[in-house]
Amino acid sequence: MFIKLIRTLIITGTIFLAHSCTEPYDVVLDSSYTRLIVYGEITSDTCVQKIALSKSADYFYNLPAQPVTAADVTITTGDSVISLLENPQIPGTYETPAGFYGLEGQVYSLRISNVDINNDGNPEEYSASAKMPFVVQPDSIGLNYAVYPFFKGTEILLYARDPAETMDFYAFRVLRNGVLLTDSLPEINVQSDLLFNGNYTYGIQAAFLDDEKEGEKVLGGDTICFEMQGISEEYYKFIIEAQTELFGSNPLFSGPPANISTNISNGALGFFTAISIKRSYAIAPPRIN
Amino acid sequence: MIRNLFFTVLLFFISIHVSASGIDDPPVSYSISGHVSDAATGEVLIAANVYIRELGSGSVTNAYGYYSITLASGSYSIGVSYVGYQSFEKKILLTENQVLNIELLPKSSEIDEVTVSSVKKNQNVSSLEMGTTQLPIQSIRRIPAFMGEVDVIKAIQLLPGVTSTSEGSSGFSVRGGASDQNLILLDEATLYNASHMLGFFSIFNNDAIKDAKLYKGDIPASSGGRLSSLLEVRMKDGNTKQFSGTGGIGTISSRLTLEGPVFNEKTSFLLAGRRTYADVFLPLAKNKDIRDNKLYFYDLNAKINHTFNDNNRLYISSYFGRDVFKNQFAGLDFGNNTITIRWNHLFSSRLFSNFSLIHSDYDYLIATPEGEPNAFEWNSNLKDHSLKADFSYYANPVNVIKFGFVSTYHHFLPGNARGTGSESLFTELLLPDNYALEHGIYISSENKFGRSLSVKYGLRLSGFQNVGKATVYNFDANYNKIDSTVYAPGDFYNSYWGLEPRLGMSYMFSQTTSVKASYARTRQYVQLAQNSTAGTPLDIWFSAGKNIKPQISDQVSLGLFRNFISDKIETSVEVYYKKMSNTIDFKDHAFLLLNPELEGETRIGKSWSAGIEFLIKLNLEKLNGWIAYTYSRTERTIKGINNDQPYAAPYDKPNNVSVVLNYPFTDNIQLGLNWLYSTGNPVTFPTGRFDLMGSVLPIYSKRNEYRMPDYHRLDLSLTWSIPPKQGKKWQSEFNFSIYNAYGRHNAWAINFVPDETDPTKTKAELTYLFSYIPSITYNFKF
Repeated sequence: MFIKLIRTLIITGTIFLAHSCTEPYDVVLDSSYTRLIVYGEITSDTCVQKIALSKSADYFYNLPAQPVTAADVTITTGDSVISLLENPQIPGTYETPAGFYGLEGQVYSLRISNVDINNDGNPEEYSASAKMPFVVQPDSIGLNYAVYPFFKGTEILLYARDPAETMDFYAFRVLRNGVLLTDSLPEINVQSDLLFNGNYTYGIQAAFLDDEKEGEKVLGGDTICFEMQGISEEYYKFIIEAQTELFGSNPLFSGPPANISTNISNGALGFFTAISIKRSYAIAPPRIN
Repeated sequence: MIRNLFFTVLLFFISIHVSASGIDDPPVSYSISGHVSDAATGEVLIAANVYIRELGSGSVTNAYGYYSITLASGSYSIGVSYVGYQSFEKKILLTENQVLNIELLPKSSEIDEVTVSSVKKNQNVSSLEMGTTQLPIQSIRRIPAFMGEVDVIKAIQLLPGVTSTSEGSSGFSVRGGASDQNLILLDEATLYNASHMLGFFSIFNNDAIKDAKLYKGDIPASSGGRLSSLLEVRMKDGNTKQFSGTGGIGTISSRLTLEGPVFNEKTSFLLAGRRTYADVFLPLAKNKDIRDNKLYFYDLNAKINHTFNDNNRLYISSYFGRDVFKNQFAGLDFGNNTITIRWNHLFSSRLFSNFSLIHSDYDYLIATPEGEPNAFEWNSNLKDHSLKADFSYYANPVNVIKFGFVSTYHHFLPGNARGTGSESLFTELLLPDNYALEHGIYISSENKFGRSLSVKYGLRLSGFQNVGKATVYNFDANYNKIDSTVYAPGDFYNSYWGLEPRLGMSYMFSQTTSVKASYARTRQYVQLAQNSTAGTPLDIWFSAGKNIKPQISDQVSLGLFRNFISDKIETSVEVYYKKMSNTIDFKDHAFLLLNPELEGETRIGKSWSAGIEFLIKLNLEKLNGWIAYTYSRTERTIKGINNDQPYAAPYDKPNNVSVVLNYPFTDNIQLGLNWLYSTGNPVTFPTGRFDLMGSVLPIYSKRNEYRMPDYHRLDLSLTWSIPPKQGKKWQSEFNFSIYNAYGRHNAWAINFVPDETDPTKTKAELTYLFSYIPSITYNFKF
């Protein structure tokens, strides 16, 4: 939260000083070898849980990633092993049964086999594991319509107490009338409790819905669902690193570009994580403006 | 052990000189000594050439304008010269020690001052120094400036072997070193952040500055603490003759300097201020929130000096500068504060001394408004208190021995963040304070053997002691924290000591040709936790300690110096090789702010740089300036970075050209021109990609495997001096300048972004900060 605020502050200062401009740049890049890409979440919701497998490509490949099909994918927790089935409608996506849900404190192990990413004729195996953290139930959320110099929209204010005895990491997501608004990597808001461990949040702004963004303008009577997600420290770092690389770099604030960390073995990239989710709802009051 | 060795060498050093002086000195010898100053303002002149015609040798004035020459009794012609001033010559009969204070009359036009060097004509050939450039402020003023703001550091960046860290930045790299490897001193006080406005302007108000001198490697034994360079900036002392003022109204800022005698010529003062005024126009904004914003920086320089008598002078100088930025969400406030108290004392005409008490601090504060759940305050601070003593013993005309010591107490407060107000969510995160003592003891000597060979040799013993109270984290081989150790207040829990030899020689083939060589070892005990190339005001300094060894550099240089057309064209070629150990870099995705385990983010290795620098300086009748070309490389090998393989250092820019020219069309109109070219910075680009959560993410090449496009830029300036009205003191000029005159879009950053219409497609995008920037400045003096 501090870092983002400071980054905003200094970037604003830079804008005052000089309006930077951009233009297309032609560059020829080398090729890169193919890697297995894994992304999967086990959540505490009772639903179909998905693991997506795909292949990396050269940077200017500029087509949707190639799915990795016909892999053997299992998830182990305790003594039980669940085999995931590939969705025939979405190649490369492997799904648990519909009634599956994760439990806080439980460790989930992912195993992927029968894939030959390097095309050497010998199938490789990949694995990862994740422990589902605990997350507190928010007391409530509040909605506040705010107008700032360059933008306006709805602030979502969080009322919750962070547990004092643990180091906690959170992801915040928002749904408006059942539609997930923060559905992409840049929009996920992750936080650590480094600076507010054990404290009450007293209505701090946990999300902002920008009137100018498609689907985010909140109208009177809308149902806003706020998801408070408990995530692991490794996943928190993964999201921060992924967002850092996604947002680009500049000589003032950015370190050298670097590959995003992963918890998948054997040279694959991506992440496998377990997330516990608690929700709070609010009905938007009629808008004055 | 090392300390004992140093003191043994010290005694040996002194004994050699005592015995040598006994042999070489004539039976009866006397000293002629004094200060050289500007007859119009009383400002002492640094590095003025004092020459004994009969001996064909002499001396140069020191940083306080003092000279001393010891000679056998007899009759001599003493001459003093300083570029931009009328030469002085006088016959003297030396039958006793004499004090001769000399005032040089400035030439009527400043045009003659527009040279790289202010000293004697073949000083570049005859001096023992190499890799050193002195820039008087008059020279700096004639260089076309960014947004019309005359800037010492931007001028330094035009010298061979020096490059800026990024477009528009005040950060600079010397011979491939990092920007934190430059020791920047203002009246001997260390400046830990010499920039304003995120680095786009330096903190030096040109009206308050006398001159700047950059040592690129041949750093004198009297200084240490940084690997790459020493930049000494000296403030004016203040006009002792009459009350006067200088100032200017520019595009970005305005400034005013007042100076003059206090009661009589023995005391003078200088007071200089500069402030930007972008925020003056904010109240015109329609939006009330913007009207309340703050955005400015200011500098205040103050100095007073008093001459008690020929043997005692006191100087007190201070700098205070802040940057302030505030909007409705948050505010940022940062700046430096320095105070230097110096006492010049002559124990005898042959033993000059200076004692300094120095305070320097840099701090920043970030805060959000109280009354909100996210209200917080975050401050960081670094304070230095130094005691310094320097002695110069003028043994004879060809031998000066310098010795002294400095001790500095560092107090680091790396960060304290806390919620403010009863409604704040935030607790306190306090990074423990760190304390350290840094010492330097040195002795050096310059000797001339015959008319051709000169040598200098010096030895510096430097030390660094970490002092409790402190909490030191212990890490395993993979930089994972194991535990921590707490040390009590006053506990000297860690020390480093090391010798730093400094050697140099010059052989003059003729009055126009010489060859020089030098070797310098330097050690650095504090460094910047900075992972970006340009950095921000929030970057903190951290010290050597149990987990961080001091950085060490060994540099050798060799140079050929040759002048043409009666020294009107000076040329030089210098080659250097620099080997550095304990080089610090940071791991991928390092977290450097508010991190109590910062040392765990470091990665340690070695690095080297090498290069060849060509320089042609023109001091022609009208055309002045220089043309410089540098070819250099610098590389790091650090375990844990780039798979432990060597990679180009962030400031590795092999080819550099700078052309700086000044030409007076008439007595009143001068044209200035800069043209710069350099290879683009090394960068890391993606070679692969993968799709994740609806975004395309990069897989990167090896570290710094690619390069930004080449950088080049032309700056122009035209200065129109308005002739003063007869009998009036008011003089003024207009300066018109264009930065980046042909509007090249030099890359500030290159990013890879998704296509607006199809997020599966990506493209490269170049960000540039500036096209051409015109500016007008009105300067005046009275």
